[in-house]
Amino acid sequence: MRKCKVFVGNSHPELGQLVCENLGIEAAPCTLKKFANGETSVQIGVSVRDEDVYVIQSGSPEINDHIMEMLILISALKGGSAKKITAVIPQFPYAKQSKMKKHRGAITARMIANLIIMAGADHVVSMDLHASQMQGFFSKPVDNLYGGPTLAKWIKENITDYENNAVVVSKNPGGTKRVTALADLLKINFAMIHTDRRRKKDILSGNKDQLKSLKLRKQSILRKNRPIIQKDDENGAEENILLTNTIQTARLRKGHVVSEEDPFEDSEEEEDFNYPSENNGLNIASSGNSDNDNESDDDEYNENSEQPSLEKLITLVGNVNGKSAILLDDMIDRPGSFIGAAEHCIKNCGAKDVYVVATHGVFTGDCLEQLEESDSINKIIVTNTYPISEERLKKSKKLVVLDVSPIFAECIRRDHYGESISVLFDSLKHL
Amino acid sequence: MSSNSIKVLAGNSHPELTNKIIEKLGIDKTNVFVQNYTNRETCVAIADNIRDEDVYIIQTGIDHEDLNINDYLMELMIMVHCCKTASVRKVTCVIPNFFYARQDRKDKSRSPITAKLVANLLTTAGCDHVITMDLHASQIQGFFSIPVDNLYAEPSTLKYIKDNYDVNQKDLILVSPDAGGAKRVASLADKLDLQFALLHKERAVANEVSRMVLVGDVKGKNCILIDDMADTCGTLCKAAEILKENGAKQTIAMVTHAILSNNALERVKNSELKKLVFTNTNPISEQDKQNYKECIDVIDISGTLAEAIRRLHNGESISYLFTHVPL
Repeated sequence: MRKCKVFVGNSHPELGQLVCENLGIEAAPCTLKKFANGETSVQIGVSVRDEDVYVIQSGSPEINDHIMEMLILISALKGGSAKKITAVIPQFPYAKQSKMKKHRGAITARMIANLIIMAGADHVVSMDLHASQMQGFFSKPVDNLYGGPTLAKWIKENITDYENNAVVVSKNPGGTKRVTALADLLKINFAMIHTDRRRKKDILSGNKDQLKSLKLRKQSILRKNRPIIQKDDENGAEENILLTNTIQTARLRKGHVVSEEDPFEDSEEEEDFNYPSENNGLNIASSGNSDNDNESDDDEYNENSEQPSLEKLITLVGNVNGKSAILLDDMIDRPGSFIGAAEHCIKNCGAKDVYVVATHGVFTGDCLEQLEESDSINKIIVTNTYPISEERLKKSKKLVVLDVSPIFAECIRRDHYGESISVLFDSLKHL
Repeated sequence: MSSNSIKVLAGNSHPELTNKIIEKLGIDKTNVFVQNYTNRETCVAIADNIRDEDVYIIQTGIDHEDLNINDYLMELMIMVHCCKTASVRKVTCVIPNFFYARQDRKDKSRSPITAKLVANLLTTAGCDHVITMDLHASQIQGFFSIPVDNLYAEPSTLKYIKDNYDVNQKDLILVSPDAGGAKRVASLADKLDLQFALLHKERAVANEVSRMVLVGDVKGKNCILIDDMADTCGTLCKAAEILKENGAKQTIAMVTHAILSNNALERVKNSELKKLVFTNTNPISEQDKQNYKECIDVIDISGTLAEAIRRLHNGESISYLFTHVPL
């Protein structure tokens, strides 16, 4: 590729290397280092005048340093009279802060977008943005690639008889759209899990009867081993209606599923915890229970700060009985909700095994280790958009990392030659 | 000396809502003359003094027969610009139903993000602040470089359900007509302690009859379909049919923005939907109100907007309105 240079940032050199290999070129030489006072310094070792330049930098544990590094690199390239600068950001940092979380919250993802454009980027390439609306944050073109086809390919090749044997499950209502897209692609069923943080103690005890009846229903379901899908054959001519009418509710304590037989022994404790929160509900802002579409993200953020002994209700809408549950999300950050959902699928809903599938394996803290430890999780599948240390990879028995570098390489190649990259979006069809 | 008071300017898209807001705020209407030249150019003249005042312009994104959505957008931008050149202190656009809110991402190759363009246009025209309601995607807030207050119709919707149905009866179930709305429905279901279900339309397989999947149990229940907007109502009517086939007792639908194009109300009347409940973010003609009074119900959200304007003007917090319906 003439007049084209690829610069690889320090956040994820392995991915950058793989992309360059796929393109059949060497990464352009540049020195990225830090001064003693912590300031980042960039030196570009080759002329970029009038060239088409690509900078590959992903999110990483040293997120802010690497954002700064990318900004300085872009600005250095701009200063070096590059014709066009494309920032390739496989995992977009701060993507979760794409809307006002709480009242008066900052939209940090937009700020990052502004910074990247201000530094001099002319084009941005990313993958599975947390919200596709983020493309609108940029005043320059953004290409949002999809990790879905790669994940779908793995599922097709590795889950035996996936067509009859697997269900894609969303671990929160917000991710249902992503889940249905994959379900449609694989032509399999889907289900959804909802974790309820608000139901108050009186409702909980009121649910005792409901739980009992649910239990009875569950037993009858297990007895009859009712098929999960009831194909409506009578009126199949016009429309094929599938009914998956199981709703499974259980209790979560400290992020783990509590068996239904377990008495409500801590109802006293419940009371203590819930009355203040009830008051909070009246005191507006603090409880943050107004925004009808930020809770699933808040969930991730608040997981640690929440009262650990607070009991929640977890509900599965749909049916996974006797099937492999594929828990899909865009990013694995914190383990709590995945473990809770997996335990619920296995212990209460009769799932055969659970696969945790995501595009970005961020694994903050000991997330990966906790997921490893959970008996309910069979395998963890992520792509290599985010760096995972060698050591962690070696230690892990469940983790599967899929390579998406060919997608980025192809995108760079096509972009450089001015070809359409829609094919990369539509590659879903060719599977 | 300027009093720096609230001035509410009415766009032509929804005068009824403006009047209600003015009434709730207890202020006089500021006279604006909007004229369309014969060549369809829009011309705005503000008749009252607005120097150094706090101006709120109310315009909603709706399509009428004589004036379409683009005319209203143009009118809004010209009004903003007009205010700006008339030395107002601050211009706030109150847009209950945001223009082009559904074009908020590049869902196909080479498709535009028009919502972003509208945001840029409004900012360029001189708008300082935006108040809107139930944005199709809350990320649209991030398209602006000026503050945006996204209000929720949810408290009003909750109030309506509580006033009209016995939520303790447990025979109610909330249903989302598509997977994308699951979050909205789950949030409402939590607050009402009701069960919920969702419908999903499979579109991926080409040349195959589309099928709708129902996830959840609706047998013998009264279903409430919840969505953020109703356009042709095709999906809602179809959903009601599916729910009926699955044993639902009766179905009503609740939406925030009723766009109601292509004889949507006629469709609702002839469908399994017993009732369509929507807020007055969009106007509905008197004629339609009369003709279809059996099958529609309107929730008034002018109180929320008026209170937001009052609080914004006085520099108070708006958070209260995210959870409560003002008196």
